[in-house]
Amino acid sequence: MTERPAGQESGQSRGLAFRGEELRKIYRTGETEVHALRGVDLAIPAGEMLVLLGPSGSGKSTLLNIIGGLDRATSGRLFYGDTDLTALDDKALTRFRRAEVGFIFQFYNLIPSLTAEENVRLVTNIADNPMDPAEALALVGLAERRDHYPAQLSGGEQQRVAVARAVAKQPGVLLCDEPTGALDSKTGIRVLETLARANRELGATVVIITHNVGIAAMADRVFHFLDGRIARTEVNEHPIAPSEISW
Amino acid sequence: MTALDRKLLRDLWRMRGQVFAIALVLAAATATFVLSMGVHRSLTETRDAYYARNAFADVFAEMTRAPRGVVQRAAAIPGVRRAEGSIRQYATLDFPDRVEPVRALINSVNEHGRTHLNRLTLRQGRLPEAGHAGEAVVDEAFAKANGLGIGDGVDALIYGRKQPLRIVGIGLAPDYIYAIAPGDLIPDDRRFGIFWMGEKALEAATDRTEAINALSVTLERGARQADVIRKLDALLAPYGGSGAYGRADHLSHAFLDNELMQLDALTQVIPPIFLLVAIFLVYIVLGRMIRTERTQIGLIKAFGYSGWAIGWHYMKFALAIAVLATVLGAVAGVWMGRGMTRLYTEYYHFPFLYYHISPGVFAGAAALSVGAAALGALGGMQEAVRLNPAVAMTPPPPPVYRGGWGERLGRKAGFSAIGHMIVRHIARWPGRSAITVTGVALSMGLLFATMQFVDASRTMIDSWFLRSQRQDLTITFIEPRNEAVLHALAQMPGVLRVEPTRAVAAKISHGNRTERGAIESAPEGAVLTARIDGDGQEIDLPPAGLMLSRQLADKLGVKTGERVTVEMLGGRRTRAFLPVVRIIDEFIGKRAYAADATLQALARDGAPAGAALLRIDPAARDRILAKLKTMPVVLGVTERDAALRKFEQMIDENIFTMLGFYVSFASAIAVGVVYNSARILFSERAHELATLRVLGYHRTEVGMVLLGELALLVVLAVPVGCVAGYWLAQMMTAMFGSDLFRLPFAPSRASYGYSILIVLAAATATALIVGRRVLQLDMVRVLKARE
Repeated sequence: MTERPAGQESGQSRGLAFRGEELRKIYRTGETEVHALRGVDLAIPAGEMLVLLGPSGSGKSTLLNIIGGLDRATSGRLFYGDTDLTALDDKALTRFRRAEVGFIFQFYNLIPSLTAEENVRLVTNIADNPMDPAEALALVGLAERRDHYPAQLSGGEQQRVAVARAVAKQPGVLLCDEPTGALDSKTGIRVLETLARANRELGATVVIITHNVGIAAMADRVFHFLDGRIARTEVNEHPIAPSEISW
Repeated sequence: MTALDRKLLRDLWRMRGQVFAIALVLAAATATFVLSMGVHRSLTETRDAYYARNAFADVFAEMTRAPRGVVQRAAAIPGVRRAEGSIRQYATLDFPDRVEPVRALINSVNEHGRTHLNRLTLRQGRLPEAGHAGEAVVDEAFAKANGLGIGDGVDALIYGRKQPLRIVGIGLAPDYIYAIAPGDLIPDDRRFGIFWMGEKALEAATDRTEAINALSVTLERGARQADVIRKLDALLAPYGGSGAYGRADHLSHAFLDNELMQLDALTQVIPPIFLLVAIFLVYIVLGRMIRTERTQIGLIKAFGYSGWAIGWHYMKFALAIAVLATVLGAVAGVWMGRGMTRLYTEYYHFPFLYYHISPGVFAGAAALSVGAAALGALGGMQEAVRLNPAVAMTPPPPPVYRGGWGERLGRKAGFSAIGHMIVRHIARWPGRSAITVTGVALSMGLLFATMQFVDASRTMIDSWFLRSQRQDLTITFIEPRNEAVLHALAQMPGVLRVEPTRAVAAKISHGNRTERGAIESAPEGAVLTARIDGDGQEIDLPPAGLMLSRQLADKLGVKTGERVTVEMLGGRRTRAFLPVVRIIDEFIGKRAYAADATLQALARDGAPAGAALLRIDPAARDRILAKLKTMPVVLGVTERDAALRKFEQMIDENIFTMLGFYVSFASAIAVGVVYNSARILFSERAHELATLRVLGYHRTEVGMVLLGELALLVVLAVPVGCVAGYWLAQMMTAMFGSDLFRLPFAPSRASYGYSILIVLAAATATALIVGRRVLQLDMVRVLKARE
């Protein structure tokens, strides 16, 4: 594993999924200002698996939300390929999410009134080039449980449905905020395996926020966050398989 | 202030929109309660004080002519406290510059102030003096409508003789609180007025020296009215008595009573609807509040607060809404009550008006709203009391959805994922969905029930004024007349058709029930009158026996095929035992009909015409009216169109005020229900909505989930509302009916349409306000907050 200064490009010939310049995010709550991002420059190569590490409040989730089009930077520029995300209006950002981004959260965020398959269908209904919902569920090993409601599934199963929902649209990027945070190691590894598979087979760029340092070993690249900045970047020449991760 | 009370205040402020929406519904209940109870009591107290102060009689009788000495004999009847005789005489007034007929009912008043019953209250001037034959007091409303003042003169045609009258006083009396010309429904102060002349002067003008034609009687406490009436009838029979009657049959009293009865009905029907909806709303809002504050409740309990302390905290939330509602409702009720009382005084004339609302009415209103709020809060309070702190502090399990009717329906219809979300959420919370549907439906029902009063009035106009009465003019005679007068009328240029009508006073009895009225008839082949049944069919007079209106039949408890005893009070005063061959659903009055021959066999008086009906050429109207004014035999002329216009004017003025009230009240329900449902839905689904946004759904698509569910519930409410409205309208129509008139139940499609439109508009506007929150949804914040 080699180390480089904050966020700098490795110089690989692969294209970039995201390129950010001087990204800042300031939250104003009442009279106080919270500087969540303090000028982040970054380059995320397409098709890589990236892990964001860092203490709570260091800006990981803020960055994830901004690159996923859920939030906007207060200043700075962010490109997805050639598209300037910072210049997009709300409608265009929604279209960007619809077409390119798959999200996975710590608490799954499944719709409780929809079955596993229908939760996936929620995405395939509006995506341009989706896979078959059954195929997506098969990808996460839940083909048998397609007609179950979230309340009838275990936490790990719910998260795998969330993964299936995220990959079903064949997204360009998969953004995962603590995807294994609520799971035990066995289920957590199962979820990570499906993410790795999506990265490998669909070619999606995968960004994972985690507090679990062990997970960094499966990434191509790791950003270490501190106080709203990327303190350093690691490039992992030999990522390991999820099953080898020490939890 | 304790920390919990501080939380209460802040909760109330934070949820002010929902609090206000519920308070609005409750306030509608208290406002209606304060309004109708307040007006009812004010009118009752005013009436009772007026009756007591001016000695309104208990029993009344009219006769053709009786010697004044009969008064002494009436006073001697056991149970009679005081008896007083008077003369009442219809007259025609001649305003030289007006063609339309103006009629007066002239009463005698003792010139020396010795009139003790139905006493005049003088507003201006003085009573007529003895020896001044032409002096008269005129009733205030008529004076005002015709611009008459003290010293003005008007020519009257009394008993076939022209007599100039000079106005010396302006007053009003308790027997003419509601003053209408015979056959009218609504006072027309320009065309009909009450006059009072000196006893001697009126005796002379009507050829009744030392004679009377009307008797009023007050009763001793505890006296049986029916006994006195029977004895009076026996006493007055030789003098052409047309049957004594109590206050219940006194026209002015009966109309006022009818109005009070309608106010009572209003109090019974309207507030319960609002209270029911308010109970529902408090129930669902508090239920949701406790579910979201579950963790807090656990925490507070863990600190050592008792379950009851927390339960009481939530109960206080509901009570605060009730207090707000009581204040709002009381203010609105007092304000509307004032307006409504003013409206009443346009038709009902009192010398003074006590408009005050007793503290008891406010206390009652407060009790109603506090009771409703507390009842609604009970469920939530119980839940808060029972919640185990350890369980409460862990997040609630996700709502469990299972296949059910919602799922089967969705699958069959091939719904999209959004469609499934909507239908399953409704099915998952059937109670709350039912409350939304019921609330919106009740709002619509209430609107419909109010709107159809316009339809009822229109149907009544059509049936009574246009189809039942086809004459242009009704002419009454000083004394029943025969063919010669009819012939003379027919000869007048412009008169197209003349038909006589007859009505002979009679008492009709069945078992131990007796009703006083008249048996009406029309000659064979008559086309100017018709009897219209409830379904709009024209009914012929029965060849034999009697036909009774539904009201009279109900009063007598008689069915078709049964026999009634008829005691004629006019003609030869015969008695007969006749079959009821038909019952007709009419809207106006308690009426009895018989064929000309049947009536002739009963009366045996040579069939004189009591009145003539004329159809005229409109172009000749003024000429004909001018000619009629000069005919001594003519007692009075009524124009059908004038009564029709007056009726329409009353509908326009009053019903639309009333509709205004109810449209806003019913909208309050719709707004309250939809707003609270929407807020609860939004709070429950914020997480899901944010998830959809993250997945790439546009704001409008996400809004569909929220508004789609509301829209579906509102649409479901439409048929329910139509049924509820139909049922409510039918009940209110029945409750508003009286001896005087019965409202037809004939709702139009337009009433359904308007109620649906108004409720949909109120619901849509409210939903859009909440829907705006979807636009402002902060995805990141919502998703970070664990539901």
